[in-house]
Amino acid sequence: MTERKSPTAVLREGPRALSDEQVREIEEADLKGVLAVDIDDVIEYVHKDLKSLPDFTTLYRKYLKQRWDVYDLDFTQDKIDWTERMTEAERHSFLAIASGFHHGERQVEIELPVFMIGASEEEKLHIAAQIEDEARHTVFFDRFYREVVGLQGDDIMDILDASFPWVAETFVGPFGLLAYQADEVRRNPYDERARVRYGTTYFLWIEGVLALSVMKVTLSYARWRGFLPAYYTGFTATCRDESRHVQGGMKYLQDAVRKDPSMVNEIHETLRTILTLAGVASREVVYEPLGWTQDEVRMLFNQQLRRKLNDVGISLPPDLLAMVGSVQPVLAGG
Amino acid sequence: MTEPGFFSPQWAAAVGDVLAAGPSERERDGKLPMYWDFFDKVKAGYASSWALGCRDLPAGIDTGPAYLHVQWGGGTVTGCHIAGPGEQRATYVLGMDYADWQALHGGYDAQRTVMYRKILVEEGNVLEFFKGIYFFTECLGLIGKVPADFTALAVR
Repeated sequence: MTERKSPTAVLREGPRALSDEQVREIEEADLKGVLAVDIDDVIEYVHKDLKSLPDFTTLYRKYLKQRWDVYDLDFTQDKIDWTERMTEAERHSFLAIASGFHHGERQVEIELPVFMIGASEEEKLHIAAQIEDEARHTVFFDRFYREVVGLQGDDIMDILDASFPWVAETFVGPFGLLAYQADEVRRNPYDERARVRYGTTYFLWIEGVLALSVMKVTLSYARWRGFLPAYYTGFTATCRDESRHVQGGMKYLQDAVRKDPSMVNEIHETLRTILTLAGVASREVVYEPLGWTQDEVRMLFNQQLRRKLNDVGISLPPDLLAMVGSVQPVLAGG
Repeated sequence: MTEPGFFSPQWAAAVGDVLAAGPSERERDGKLPMYWDFFDKVKAGYASSWALGCRDLPAGIDTGPAYLHVQWGGGTVTGCHIAGPGEQRATYVLGMDYADWQALHGGYDAQRTVMYRKILVEEGNVLEFFKGIYFFTECLGLIGKVPADFTALAVR
């Protein structure tokens, strides 16, 4: 965190190229070094390879170099920031956003194994790595909620129970859908249409749009205020992990559509359901204490979705384009 | 007053009344009007039916699972009854274990009942079903509040 940019500093800039040095800094930083990495650069890095997606073995090799130990993080300063420096309004807004990710990480961890059954051997390596990533992210949030927010419990589910009151009723939309689509895949693991529908919800919407938006909002706030260094470090490292997940997921969808162009209908139908649900909010989240407005978060959503679709080469019919404009900025992720 | 037995005809009738009435003003408090507008819009146009199964109903009707069959139409419940095995024809057939039905009636959250796959779509189009998931989840929460006697099943 070498500079104090405002949270929305690059929101309107559009896509930008990263220098080789910036890419090297992101790819090779150890956990301590991640604190110095700019989250805006990592979000840009996620998109860097979407036009020429890396193969699954390359993604697996990146995983082996980039995995980090969640128990190396020290939340001592975060606890001080949380209790002594952040305002009540900041804490409230932060929890209203981060809790969707706390539960989202658990959901994407447990719903992924069934997708491995019907995958190619190389993709299985990547998915196995991703499951380990998601487990580590679940522990990251468990530690944050225990050691910083101060929730108490004997096990991971106790902490999930304790943070659930902050989760919006609309969370069941994308994450309930993923659970039911995972069950469809469980029953028919080689049904490519079911796998594409699942992949659209998991990789395109939850990881590609929701997760990156939560990361951008909470991490740009932490950078701006100079708060929560362990959260910034761990969640920025999480974002770097997500770059592999999003790239792998987009490669899967792109390959599926290239092999059978009619698969784009499965993507559209899945988005039709997701966008119907995303047009509704059950709670008002106040983003201003974190340096954002609702309109800016909505713009961020739209940018994230359009960039994924454009980069992977999937166009939307007019009715879906209209629905994208009505999306409510309700943040969750995984 | 004795509570109707879980999955009894009296319980099904009480569930039908509660679903037709929908959430009270008190139950609507705390969620945005936009959310309830969506709920009301879905309810007004909903013409599907649910067969909500209890997979392992103890001493149930005949053998095998039993279903709470709910038919929607014209913005209300047009039928709500208990159906036995083989009679579960519905737009969406869902299944849940007895213990999870008990947990729902004990106050377990309806959203997590869906999210944690305690209740699952066994027949029907998942994408279409999910277009009304907020409506379904709220209804599941209402069903969980209808008093039911679970002990009666053991002596049937």
